[in-house]
Amino acid sequence: MSVWALITMIVVLGILWGGFVAVLALAISKENRKNLRKD
Amino acid sequence: MVNIERFSSRWGLVISVIGIAVGTGNIWRFPRIAATNGGGSFLIPWIIFLFLWSIPLMIAEFGIGKSTRYGPVGSFATLLGKRFAWMGVFVAFVATAIMFYYSVVAGWCLRYLMMTLTSQLFQVDNHTEDWATFIGSGWQPAFFHFTAITIGALIIRKGVVHGIERANRFLIPSLLLLIIISAVRAVTLPGAYEGLQFLFTPEFSNLLDYRVWLQALTQNAWDTGAGWGLILTYAVYMREKEDVPLNAALIGLGNNSVSLLAAITIFCTVFALVPEQAGEILQTPGPANTGLTFIWIPQLFYQMPGGAFFATFFFLALTFAALSSLISMLELATRVFMDMKMSRSKALSLVYVGTLVLGLPSALSVDFFLNQDWTWGIALMVSGAFIAIAVTRYGAERFRSQQINSEGSDIHVGHWYNYLVQYAIPLQVVVLITWWFYQVIQADPRGWWNPFLPESVGTCILQWGVVILVFLFFNKIIADRTLGR
Repeated sequence: MSVWALITMIVVLGILWGGFVAVLALAISKENRKNLRKD
Repeated sequence: MVNIERFSSRWGLVISVIGIAVGTGNIWRFPRIAATNGGGSFLIPWIIFLFLWSIPLMIAEFGIGKSTRYGPVGSFATLLGKRFAWMGVFVAFVATAIMFYYSVVAGWCLRYLMMTLTSQLFQVDNHTEDWATFIGSGWQPAFFHFTAITIGALIIRKGVVHGIERANRFLIPSLLLLIIISAVRAVTLPGAYEGLQFLFTPEFSNLLDYRVWLQALTQNAWDTGAGWGLILTYAVYMREKEDVPLNAALIGLGNNSVSLLAAITIFCTVFALVPEQAGEILQTPGPANTGLTFIWIPQLFYQMPGGAFFATFFFLALTFAALSSLISMLELATRVFMDMKMSRSKALSLVYVGTLVLGLPSALSVDFFLNQDWTWGIALMVSGAFIAIAVTRYGAERFRSQQINSEGSDIHVGHWYNYLVQYAIPLQVVVLITWWFYQVIQADPRGWWNPFLPESVGTCILQWGVVILVFLFFNKIIADRTLGR
């Protein structure tokens, strides 16, 4: 695979999949904190 | 206002809204558009417009639905005043008009799923002929359209928690699992690496081509569900102290991640199995833009070890994606009538019968289908503009501070949002509509104005004009029935 293809793949997957996982982790932690406060 | 059902949890809402966003467009349109617009160089503007178009509009829809607790018609009348209810009716009508023919598309997916389950798919000699026979038969697309809309109606009938949420809790994780398994299988095929190379290699000269940027924007406008009024409808059922911006980001990123997984699966499969024909297969739209899905995919799976198994996976995923989007369109139309004080069962019966009847022309005629796809696909941009206008007239700053950064919000949205919704989104709409119309005028300088051609500027102006005039005429009656006198 060419260097540019590899760089593009890492950047695109990083933003989309990495972004998705990061936002999901943040949402889960915020939600857990809200639930703890409720309890 | 009567008591409105609520999603049982944040995850019930998120999964249901991902169900809106992930549809057939992710699986059959995205790979073709990415292939014809330079692969890697298309992905860059496509990600940029996720943040400039899709996520800001999703945030707007969440905020509007959550604050007004009305579907599109009541929302616009509440935010802008009763005089502007017609704008909400237009947004609702566009999504409903799309539902009429989307149910036909869901029916096509069901037909191919049935063929894989009964092992008939691989007995077909000529898939182009088989597709033509199926579409030309009339009764078959009509039958599967009836089946798809009936399944959707049976889900919606049970309400939000027991219908929409429960269905999506099954459909979406299953869909993700099916796509992930298919993608893993595809990238492990010998020669699949060429597919990844084609998908991710950027041709930097393409980034200077405005058409690549406009195609990237169009793809975001059509396949994320932002600006359709569907997210606004589900937001009606959000819990009181629910987050808006983080959920919107999660759904936008999730939707585009699924598109990318689908593209990886298809590119790797095509390059591994028929490398010499890969360009033609990926870039040729075929009849009703379905060439890749219904003509090539069966032939590709036929050549693959364990192909029957993976073909079933693929068409099951496609059917789940279609159904999860279809039920959101059904719910939008049903919500509009429920806001007019109708019971769910009565409103749903009306929408169900209406869809059965008004979807029939698209099931029976490909030309009619293409006309509706063109007319209301472009009208979606107008819907997006109307939502941005609603926020702007309400006051972007007031909307941001009261409806987005409200109690329960997990992150703070800054002033940048005001600029995006006030200027960037309307500008994108104007540029997109101008470009699409310009393309039609270039392609057919003599017939572009003719309203009786399937894809013309004339047909858009005529159909949009008629529905807007009708909605303006009945504006007061509709607004009064929704909000009360």
